[in-house]
Amino acid sequence: MAKVRGAIVVDVEKCKGCEVCIPACPTDVIALAKEVNGKGYHYAYMEDPEACIGCTNCAIVCPDGVITVYKVKL
Amino acid sequence: MKGNEALAEAAIRAGADAYFGYPITPQSEVIEYLMAEKPTDRTGMVVLQAESEIAAINMVYGAAGAGKKVMTSSSSPGISLKQEGISYIAGAELPCLYANVVRGGPGLGTIQPSQADYFQSTKGGGHGDYRQIVLAPASVQEMADFVRDGFDLAFKYRIPVLILSDGVIGQMMEKVELFDPIPRLTDDEINERYPWATTGKKSGTERRIITSLDLDSHKMEEHNHKLQAKYQEITEKEVRYELIDCDDAEYIYVAYGSSARIAQKAVKLARAKGIKAGLFRLITLFPFPSVKMFEMCGKGIKGFLAVEMSAGQMVEDVHLSVKGCSKVEHFGRYGGIVHTPEEVLEALEQKIIGG
Repeated sequence: MAKVRGAIVVDVEKCKGCEVCIPACPTDVIALAKEVNGKGYHYAYMEDPEACIGCTNCAIVCPDGVITVYKVKL
Repeated sequence: MKGNEALAEAAIRAGADAYFGYPITPQSEVIEYLMAEKPTDRTGMVVLQAESEIAAINMVYGAAGAGKKVMTSSSSPGISLKQEGISYIAGAELPCLYANVVRGGPGLGTIQPSQADYFQSTKGGGHGDYRQIVLAPASVQEMADFVRDGFDLAFKYRIPVLILSDGVIGQMMEKVELFDPIPRLTDDEINERYPWATTGKKSGTERRIITSLDLDSHKMEEHNHKLQAKYQEITEKEVRYELIDCDDAEYIYVAYGSSARIAQKAVKLARAKGIKAGLFRLITLFPFPSVKMFEMCGKGIKGFLAVEMSAGQMVEDVHLSVKGCSKVEHFGRYGGIVHTPEEVLEALEQKIIGG
């Protein structure tokens, strides 16, 4: 079976930096970016992309539905 | 729906005639939603992005003078800019509704939530002896409902009404049950219902004048007496609050808005530990429920803890209400930090029970 890794895509302009996704991630992939979006919020991004397992926990807890999770074949 | 979106949708449904705004985080979704929803097509409501906050509030002043249901919204620094206009509206006795989605201050501060605009909201941020009704929603549902209630109060008393929200409620997503749309008033209805509105002088009718200026001090004092009588009536009739688990409580949290939600969780935690805590949730900040709070003092209450995201503003009104009959302390994080229920419980144990 091919090895599979997860990857998340964040809708940066919709993210309000509420940090709910950060503790939801079992492998501590997500952090808030140093940069801000158009509204001035620090948005979520993949700080440690290698560790993502594509469990979709972050997408489930996100109150604004800004996170999309993909599975990437290696 | 997001709190800000619920506020915007409720404005359309409440039959508002106009919204004049200027974007500022964390309140921008209000004007974004209204622009995207195109209420001109739905109800004929006008939505306009003014060139500044000061222009927006003066557009509100003008529209309110014509008897229209009009609202604006902003966040802390923007509301500071609007204070001059609000004082004029209060002076000219006009109805309007505005929302403040509070962020951390002072100055530009931060874009994270705070409740540090309590003094500005309840003690009058602008000049002169005026007051305004302040409603503090604690959920997205209330963000919507208070728009309808706010307009009703504004027109009943011809007074500016403020919805004092904060960054948490504005940005939070929750389920909302929206009320049925109320149709907008036609020009004839406005003319009939509001004998003060400047709708155009017809022959045989008196001139209607909207002004907050009277250079005759005696007349001005009389006008002020009238305003004070109105505020007194509001204080007697329009107080709103909610008591949660207060029947057998020994310790009371006093809170409003998002702090009330956190304090409610802290009450649960305290009860699990065997501490008899309750929550006094303020819905109207002006009028303040002083009478009820003083009444409660005599009934075995050992202390009040004011929980707010400020350095201690509402706690002053709690002190004034309790009149020294009970212990009053303050707890709050500020500058954009939101306290946790555990911190709120610990504060009760240390400051009221232990102290």
